[in-house]
Amino acid sequence: MLRCGSRLLRSYTLIITEKPDAASRIASALDAEGKAEKVVENGVPYYVAKRSEDIVVVPALGHLYTVASAKKRKREYPVFDFHWVPRYLAERGAAQIRTWLKVISKLAENADKFIDACDYDVEGSIIGYSILKYACGGKESLAQRMKYSTLTKEELEKSYTEPLPHLDFALIEAGLTRHEVDWLYGINLSRALTMAAKNYSGKYATLSTGRVQGPTLNFLETRERSIKCFVPTPYWSIKAEVKIGDAVFEAEYEKKVIEIKAEADAIIDSCKGKDGETEKIEMKEFRQMPPLPFDLGSLQSEAYSLFRYTPLRTSSIAQRLYLDALISYPRTGSQKLPSAIGYRAILKQLGRIHDYRNLAAELLAKPALKPIEGKKEDSAHPAIYPTGNLPDRTLNSAERNIWDLVVRRFMAVFGEPAIRQSVTVTLSINGNHFQLNGRRTLEEGWLRFYKPHVQSEDTLLPPLKEGQKVSVKRVILEDKFTNPPSRYNPSSLLRKMEKEEIGTKATRAGIIQTLHNRKYIREERIVVTDLGFEVVDVLKKYCPTVVSIELTRKLEERMNEIQQGKETRENVLRGAIEILKPVTEKLKEKEQVIGARLSQAIQKAKLEERIIGACPICQNGKLVILRSKKTGKRFIGCTNYFEGKCKAAFPLPQKGLAKPTGNVCKSCGWPTVRIWMKGKRPWNLCLNPKCPIKEKWSEKH
Amino acid sequence: MERKTLKCKTCHREAGERDFCLLHLKAYENIVKKYDFWRKALKISWKEYLSEIKQNPLTGEWAKEVANYIANNEGTKSVKES
Repeated sequence: MLRCGSRLLRSYTLIITEKPDAASRIASALDAEGKAEKVVENGVPYYVAKRSEDIVVVPALGHLYTVASAKKRKREYPVFDFHWVPRYLAERGAAQIRTWLKVISKLAENADKFIDACDYDVEGSIIGYSILKYACGGKESLAQRMKYSTLTKEELEKSYTEPLPHLDFALIEAGLTRHEVDWLYGINLSRALTMAAKNYSGKYATLSTGRVQGPTLNFLETRERSIKCFVPTPYWSIKAEVKIGDAVFEAEYEKKVIEIKAEADAIIDSCKGKDGETEKIEMKEFRQMPPLPFDLGSLQSEAYSLFRYTPLRTSSIAQRLYLDALISYPRTGSQKLPSAIGYRAILKQLGRIHDYRNLAAELLAKPALKPIEGKKEDSAHPAIYPTGNLPDRTLNSAERNIWDLVVRRFMAVFGEPAIRQSVTVTLSINGNHFQLNGRRTLEEGWLRFYKPHVQSEDTLLPPLKEGQKVSVKRVILEDKFTNPPSRYNPSSLLRKMEKEEIGTKATRAGIIQTLHNRKYIREERIVVTDLGFEVVDVLKKYCPTVVSIELTRKLEERMNEIQQGKETRENVLRGAIEILKPVTEKLKEKEQVIGARLSQAIQKAKLEERIIGACPICQNGKLVILRSKKTGKRFIGCTNYFEGKCKAAFPLPQKGLAKPTGNVCKSCGWPTVRIWMKGKRPWNLCLNPKCPIKEKWSEKH
Repeated sequence: MERKTLKCKTCHREAGERDFCLLHLKAYENIVKKYDFWRKALKISWKEYLSEIKQNPLTGEWAKEVANYIANNEGTKSVKES
């Protein structure tokens, strides 16, 4: 029996959710009075809701179980024997999970009905399944499933009263296989790389790669290679400044790229001192269709391009908004908005906000609402949409931005196409043709709903007639060069992963972050480090299959087939082990050579991390963080310091963390370091003792 | 007898064809290939071309290292010979 305040609960329905916030929302939604009672046992919260029957809602903390080696030797590879264990047995810092599982097991003892209410996707299904199976004593086959896409009261009520009769075992099987295959790849390849470096240098540094990480790093490396080997070629373009009325416009020469300088010079000479004449005026109207509803990938892309939020940040903001019941489930791959979500009710609710009032009213005045939709579908969830609920707390600016983006995109998909007009005027200057381009919006359509997230820049041209003379102010020759391929940024990399169909919507952003954490890549416009190059080179040389996109894509296909009942978990796992066995053998055989290469790259990466910038004193050394041989104190000195060639040395605070910023001081141009100290805000320290900013500061204080 | 591995002319990596590592070899091939475009465009010599790409901020890091190496060591060779 379970004691809840003064009451004793003899039997109840146990609902399992993925996170504490979801548990609180579900319990409040299901409680007859909307006030579920919160109980905290050994730091684990759960909620008791009362209606015709008693309900206990207990949250998980994401995954409580994980795949781990069946053997205890930590650094041995290959390992192909595994089992599912509570996370506290496999991970450091997961001790809290032990208490959590104890509380869930205790609650399961008196429960007579079990419902899995974790997020309705692969990860949520595994979380619920493993808790029901291991912590609740094999209740997975008895449990029902709540399926919902928003945490609104109405939808939660409906999903509780009309649950799915059982768990989606095909989805779970596919998900378990994904975890197991990824574990097999990750543990074996990462241990091979880490141990090769450790056995060679005697120093431990975590190196990792995996089924998705390897191919992702591979195409980043391919791009980096083209950038580093790039040789630009020259070309020229010509512009003419023409005066029409009182305004000056720029017309472009018809051939955008002129590859021979002499040809470009000849055109310039031929235009010199000549006036122009309009030869042809072409007008075209075109329709700009509304954007598609957001799936997670397109929301992440849009948030990056508008606000520069990384995909991981957008994903976690969207998750918070979902838990606040402000938007629907964000980890969706769908571009469809079924009418069952209730377009009009959502718009009516959004109309309560001043900024959306007129726009919502305009849409509500339409006789029928039909959103534009994309091709992508997701059987579990629709595209991301606002629930219509208004925030019951103050959103921070990032949350407000994402919420507003979701709201405006939702309204925009019901908008009419925008009608735009382009005007191309062909000018002849002594027989050389130039084009003057104008563009304007005739009907704004959906653009109005999506402002300020879309800009329709108009370039208006004055009224012109064919055969009209125009005066040419000057003709300009522009020297140009071809550009190297552009670097990936977090958003374009995510799109590339989507296009190549590697990883899942839930894992892609995390994989990009892991590549950063491992120091294989750096900066927002992604640069592959020497360590990243070495890891890819080693993998390409000794086990090219593990960095190939084809292999990981095929595995994804097979895992999808498990979900459709066309493939079995055993087959897929056997296939993965068959691929990995020869790979690990080869890596072991070449351990010495691989270790040497990786150790060198790690050492270089560590040195690079310490480099502050060029030495402003001797000009040929580099400033690094050093330690005095006498006192052991740290300071910044030139790499030529210990050789006695340069005396450059600057003091550093002895406490806290000091890291190069990679930037120079705005005031004096000297290198800077960033200092992190406990209890203080991090600050940038300019190394120049006579920096004008420092002098001003000393005068003030 | 242990075979001594040659180092790339511009970095610490193992050298292969033309005494460049695989990474710098690609840069070298690009340099040779792109000279045709530059010669047609500007009618410049191999030496002038190397000097141009060395200074160009759009030239990749490895291409610059190779251009530097050729300019300092093999600058007088014609492109056909190289």
